[in-house]
Amino acid sequence: MLIKLSGGIVYDPANGINGKRQDIYVRDGRIIDKPVAGSKIDKTYNIAGKVVMAGAIDIHTHIGGGKVNIARIMLPEDHRHDSVRKTSITRSGCGHAAPSTLTTGYRYTEMGYTACFEPAMLPINARQAHMEMADTPIVDKGAYVLLGNDDYFLRMLAGRKDQAAISDYVAWTIQASQALGIKVVNPGGISAFKFNQRKLDLDETNVYYNVTPREILKSLAKAVHDLGVPHPLHVHGCNLGVPGNLRTTLDTIKSIEGLPMHLTHIQFHSYGTEGDRNFSSGAAQIAEAVNKNKNISIDVGQILFGQTVTASGDTMRQYDGHWHAHPKKWVMMDIECDAGCGVVPFQYQDKSFVNALQWAIGLELFLLVDDPWRIFLTTDHPNGAPFTTYPHLIRLLMDRSFRNDMLSTVNKAAAKSSILASLDREYSLYEIAIMTRAAPARSLGLRDRGHLGSGAAADITVYTEHKNKERMFAKPDYVFKDGELVAKSGKVVKITKGSTHTLRPEYDKGIEKSLNTYFDRYMSIKLENFKLQDDEIIELGSGDIIIQPCN
Amino acid sequence: MKGLTFTLAFKPQFGLDLSPLTPDRLQGLNQGQIKRIKLDYGKGKVTVGEAFTLTGFDCENIEIRRSVDKLMRIGHEMSHGTITIKGAVGDYAGQGMKGGSIFINGNVGSWLGCNMRNGHITVKGNVGDYPGGAMPGDIEGMTDGFICIYGDAGNCVGDRMRRGMIIVDGSAGDYCGSRMAAGTIIVLDKAGEHVGFNMKRGTIVLAKKPRHIAATFRSCGNLKMQFLRLLFKQLADMGKQFAVFKRIDPEVHRYAGDLAYKGKGEILILQAIKTGNKAA
Repeated sequence: MLIKLSGGIVYDPANGINGKRQDIYVRDGRIIDKPVAGSKIDKTYNIAGKVVMAGAIDIHTHIGGGKVNIARIMLPEDHRHDSVRKTSITRSGCGHAAPSTLTTGYRYTEMGYTACFEPAMLPINARQAHMEMADTPIVDKGAYVLLGNDDYFLRMLAGRKDQAAISDYVAWTIQASQALGIKVVNPGGISAFKFNQRKLDLDETNVYYNVTPREILKSLAKAVHDLGVPHPLHVHGCNLGVPGNLRTTLDTIKSIEGLPMHLTHIQFHSYGTEGDRNFSSGAAQIAEAVNKNKNISIDVGQILFGQTVTASGDTMRQYDGHWHAHPKKWVMMDIECDAGCGVVPFQYQDKSFVNALQWAIGLELFLLVDDPWRIFLTTDHPNGAPFTTYPHLIRLLMDRSFRNDMLSTVNKAAAKSSILASLDREYSLYEIAIMTRAAPARSLGLRDRGHLGSGAAADITVYTEHKNKERMFAKPDYVFKDGELVAKSGKVVKITKGSTHTLRPEYDKGIEKSLNTYFDRYMSIKLENFKLQDDEIIELGSGDIIIQPCN
Repeated sequence: MKGLTFTLAFKPQFGLDLSPLTPDRLQGLNQGQIKRIKLDYGKGKVTVGEAFTLTGFDCENIEIRRSVDKLMRIGHEMSHGTITIKGAVGDYAGQGMKGGSIFINGNVGSWLGCNMRNGHITVKGNVGDYPGGAMPGDIEGMTDGFICIYGDAGNCVGDRMRRGMIIVDGSAGDYCGSRMAAGTIIVLDKAGEHVGFNMKRGTIVLAKKPRHIAATFRSCGNLKMQFLRLLFKQLADMGKQFAVFKRIDPEVHRYAGDLAYKGKGEILILQAIKTGNKAA
């Protein structure tokens, strides 16, 4: 099957193509160079003048694992007020902030996204997370597995085990849970919460294990680097949402000593304590540090106003946030001493000083970080806003006058204390293509995704250029997934099954011996049952597994 | 002005969702536009014109005739005006109602006035389960307003109720006032088992002592509650349908509970109703 997309204007930053009129050929799900003259073209799409990009990739979106299900159970109103009817091909669903798995897949596809990555999969919950992702149609998926608060790792660190053993454990966890990377949430803090510590700064010690977040970060970042995991350590740092956490974030950047690190939803970690209300923007300092340290990449975790739900493994910070729950209900729990889970529904209000400033801080970060290859567009779905707000966010970045109009409607004091109005930068389509396609693919080590060069998987999105960028990005004309047309004019037209991206780093199998003893003594299941086999994912209907190479 | 009257023109086989037919949502529409409104009917749709014959035009004063128990969500989230229903009504009548009044001249399904925020509902017949209750998963049921039931009520009257008042002239089923956060329920005939199950605060007034009161309710003895005298006087003044309250003495046997929960609620069992006809 040979498909031709003729006459589109291509934005393909990975191959340095910036708005060039170019035909694209797809054969059997792969993009190919121009075929020899006389080849029979089975289907031609005339997309003259339309914008062509690779399928978008969401590097940080909570679409699976226990916490989303808790959010779903806890928020019946979220479902009642947002129901989706079934059509002849799609199934019914519901949910605004915590949509059902099926609806998640459809909505992502309809926005031109072809891959989504779940950032907080607990090892013990990996089976559940993969089952939920298996249920999410069309898009590709993968997950980062949480370490850094689990008993076994902290025991190793406290026992001063050598780095090679820790690397083996990290690699074993990646394989056992079929993950694509490692994430650490509030390093040591979730564990400290269980020993009644309500705060854990970078150099404070966890009272039980006697280790500091700094040691945890260094050890994990080193392990990730040594194993050749392409995606740097995915860090949700200490002190999320605490005014003044700007210091902690800058120290965290320094503490890693040049190793690659990805700081996630950094907007929540960029707060100062200046001004009458002891809450101010630290975006300028953070952006400066990110610009200077090339080993750091970030995603923003922009907030957008409206009702949503915050779901995080960071029990310590979520517990602190539960006072602001709206509606007034919340869940905090420990999960088998692996990590925690906190789900707190939240409403961001544009008239609230704090929320409006959070909004401005996120946008400031977008505009102040120079290199779009190291900053990714996220709302930390659903924590900052549901992913369906991405087109609106893109418009805020690409349209200065729209941004200033919005700024004039938010809390006056917050607008005044922000430098947002003075920032003239407008993102170009090329830069948007970098931050939503090429850069995430490169960061995750997905060599055949996020670009339109020969040999790439044919995940392609075709937009009609429009002055209103929100409209443009909300409803792409065509979305292709692995060469198949899956959405047309913003409506799903074909259901396919996405693949699951995983890694297979090498490690010393000897580690299973001590793990086996540990599992028999402390864990609720046997080691052999803990490991998620390939067959399970394939049988679950999630399509196939793609094993990404390590560096 | 003549009230807008919908007369049911067919015999529905499935649930017919009438949530679009409220004074709020019909405001400013002419008959032609109203007839074109699509209603959910089972898995499909039916227009108002197909389902009803229409007369009148005052959408503040809606009347539904020949109603049957397949008509759902009548008065959904209405905030003003009146809806009068002649006949039976299905589930979710007055759901999330914010104001105005609903009169129902027949039996009603479950979830009458669930999540009601304010307003007035009067039912001449019997009602199903969960009147004034909360939708599954919600924290609060009825948060204000007034529900008056002249017939019998099903189980879980005022489940998770937060404020407002429910008067049941007939008997109430099991779990009357379950998980109540506050508010008042008055039952003038028998109540079933597990009255006040897990209630936090609030008052349940019963005319007859139920056969069984949970061990987590502690007797506080016989008391003369002055607030009841005021309450009954005010109710009696509301109209002659509440004349019965003139004859009720405020002396009660008080049970405090549910001690398994917060224990700030109470079940009050009336000691003396002077003989005479029942209300209405």
